Amino acid sequence: MGMPISHIMTSGMSGIRAAGDLVARMQFAKNMRIDEAKKYVADKLGVTPLDLSDEFAMREIREDLGIGVITSVTGAPKGIAAKMNIEKALDIKINSCEKFRNQV
Amino acid sequence: MATEYDLRMGDGKRVFHSKNQIMDDLEAGSADAADLGEISALSSNELEKIAEIIMTKSRMVGVEPGKEVPVTHDIGTLRIDGDQGNSGVGIPSSRMIGCMMHERAFGADTMELGHIDYSFKPVKPVIAQECQAMEVCQQNMIIPLLYGAMPNMGLYYTPDGPFENPGDLMKAFKIAEAQESIEKSADHLTRDMIWIIQHMMKSSSDGVNFDTTGAAGDGDMFATLHAVEALRKEFPEMYIEVGMAGECVLGMHGGLEYDGKTLAGLWPHQQAPLVTKAGANVFGPVVNTNTSMSFSWNLARAVTFIKAAVEASDVPCHVDMGMGVGGIPMLETPPIDAVSRASKAMVEVAGVDGI
Amino acid sequence: MSKEELIKELSDAIISCKKDNVLAAVEKAKDAGMEPAEIIEKGLAAGMNEVGVLFERGKLFLPHVMMAADAMAQGVKLLETDLGAGATEKKKAVIVNGTVEGDVHDIGKSIVSTMLQSAGFEVHDIGRDMPTKSFIDKIKEVNADVVGLSALMTTTMQGQKEVIEALKEEGLRDKVKVMIGGAPATQAWADKIGADIYAENASEAVKQVKEILSV
Repeated sequence: MGMPISHIMTSGMSGIRAAGDLVARMQFAKNMRIDEAKKYVADKLGVTPLDLSDEFAMREIREDLGIGVITSVTGAPKGIAAKMNIEKALDIKINSCEKFRNQV
Repeated sequence: MATEYDLRMGDGKRVFHSKNQIMDDLEAGSADAADLGEISALSSNELEKIAEIIMTKSRMVGVEPGKEVPVTHDIGTLRIDGDQGNSGVGIPSSRMIGCMMHERAFGADTMELGHIDYSFKPVKPVIAQECQAMEVCQQNMIIPLLYGAMPNMGLYYTPDGPFENPGDLMKAFKIAEAQESIEKSADHLTRDMIWIIQHMMKSSSDGVNFDTTGAAGDGDMFATLHAVEALRKEFPEMYIEVGMAGECVLGMHGGLEYDGKTLAGLWPHQQAPLVTKAGANVFGPVVNTNTSMSFSWNLARAVTFIKAAVEASDVPCHVDMGMGVGGIPMLETPPIDAVSRASKAMVEVAGVDGI
Repeated sequence: MSKEELIKELSDAIISCKKDNVLAAVEKAKDAGMEPAEIIEKGLAAGMNEVGVLFERGKLFLPHVMMAADAMAQGVKLLETDLGAGATEKKKAVIVNGTVEGDVHDIGKSIVSTMLQSAGFEVHDIGRDMPTKSFIDKIKEVNADVVGLSALMTTTMQGQKEVIEALKEEGLRDKVKVMIGGAPATQAWADKIGADIYAENASEAVKQVKEILSV
C-alpha cells in the first residue's frame, strides 16, 4: 500500500479531497491533456487551476455543488447523486448516472 | 572526499553515491534509452533537475504546487483484501471497501474494480458477480471507476487454453504453426475481452483498463488494440485506458500489424499513436527497471523513454509506476524515498498527464 | 576477399536469418580455404550472438531467432565432412530449464530456452509449474550441466531455493550450475540462495552460461 500512497502524496490531486476526480474525468471523457483538463474544470467551477489541488478551496465548492466530500456530511449528495451533480457541473454524461436514470 | 548522497539500486538496496557518480549514471541511463528507442537523450538541464530531486535531503519530495496530476489506480481493489504474498495486505474486506478506502481514505483520483486472478479469461464464468460488484460500487462511489484486467494471452495456450503453445512450436522450428496459434489465440482473446466489457458497461462501469498489455508479446497487443477499436465503436463515451506490460513489445509472432505498423519491437513513443488510433483515452507507458543498475541510471532511462511517449501521444499519458517499472526499484515494498523521487521526476521532467 | 570480409559475410548471413545466404557464405568461406572451426566460431556463432542482441533491442523477433538458428544448423552440416573425426560429436552442454512449482508463467522461460537452443545448447524445457522432483529427475535423466529456474512472482521464488536445496541433498550441486531468472529475481537473491547465474534478460542468460561453462 505504501507505493500508491507515496505517489498520491508526492504527485496526486487528492481525489475528492480536492478536484482530482474531476480532472481525471475530463482526461478520460474528452482525451484532454493535463493542462487542458485542469483549465476546463477550473473554468467550469470558477476557480484557478492551482485551486484544484487545494483542499481548502475545493471543500466549500464541493459542498456547495453537491459533488461529494470526503467526510460524512448529513444529507449531502453521495454516490450516484453526487455524480449526477458532477454531470451538471462539468457538462458531461456519466455511464452510471445514465443507467440509474434508465432504471427509475 | 566528495559529499555522498543515499539512493537505491534497482533492487532497492541503499547505496551512497557522489554527485559525479549520480550525474554519470543519469547520463548513461538516458543515453541507453536514446540508443534503444532512437529518441533524444535528456538535456543537461533536465539531467541536473533529476539530480537535484535525487539529492534532496528529505525522505519524501513533492511536485511544485499546481503541477499535481491524477493518480489512476489499477488493481487497488485487491490490495486491501488480496493476500497473495506479493500484492495484497490481506485485511478481510470486500472489494467495495477496497474501492471506497482508496476514494475516501487515500485520496485516489480514479479507481478500478478487478477480479482476484486479474486476467480477463477467468472473468467470463463469473461475469454476473463482477457485474453485481460493479453496480454496488458505482452506487456508492464518486471518483471514476473502471473495470480492470490483464489480457494475459498466455492463458489461451496449452495447457491452460485451447491453442497449442507457440513457445513449444517455436522450439521445434514449427514457426508457421506457432504464428497461426498466436493469431487464433488473439482472435479468441479479443472476443472474450469485448464480451466481458460489454457486460461491465451495461452494469454502469465508467470504462476499462487493459492492464499489462503485451505481456504475452505482439499477439497480446494485437488482440487488445482490436478489442479497444470494437469497444470504442460500440461505446463512444466510455473511458478506455491501455497500460503496457513492458517497454518493448516482444516479437513472439513478429508479423502482426496494426494500422500498417508492425507491433513487435515498438517502444513507448511508437506504441502511443497506435493506442490512440485504436480509440483509447489514456495510455499507460512502461519502462522496466534493471535491478543491477542504480536508481539514477534507471530513473533517467525511464524519464527519457516516457518524455518521448508523452510528446508522441495525442491522449493523456498515465505512466506506469509500480514495483520494478518507471525507475522504481524491483521490490514488493519499494522504498518510499525512491517512489517519491521517481514520481516527481516523471511529472516535472517527463511531463506526464497522470500516474 | 580477405578473411575478415568472409567472416563478416558469414555473420551477416546469419543476421539476415536466411538459410540460402548462410549456405552460400559457408561455401564461399570453404572455397577460400577457411578452417571449418573458424567458419563456425568466428562467423556463424558470432552472427548468432548478434541475433541475440538484436532480439533484446526489438530489431529481430522470435521467429527470426529460430530461422537464424536453423540456418546456422544447416551451415554447420555443410562443414561436417571437413571437420575432423569426432569434432561433430563434441558434446553440447545440456541445460534443463523450467518454471518452478506454483508459478504458471511460461513465456519468459520459453524465450530463454529458445535463445539457449539457438546458441547451440541441448535444452530440455520441462514446462511451467514444475515440482522440485521433476527438475531433479530430468537433471539425472539427461545428465544436465546447467539448470534454469524461472519464477515471475515473489511468492514462487522460494521454489528456486528449494531446487538448490534438493540438488545438495541429491549430491548433485557440485555437478550442476544453477541459473535463476524472472521479474522479481535479482543478483542479491541469487547470492542469498547460492545460485551461480542471474541474468536480466535472455541474451544475458546465454552470455553468462557460455562464460561459466567456458564454451
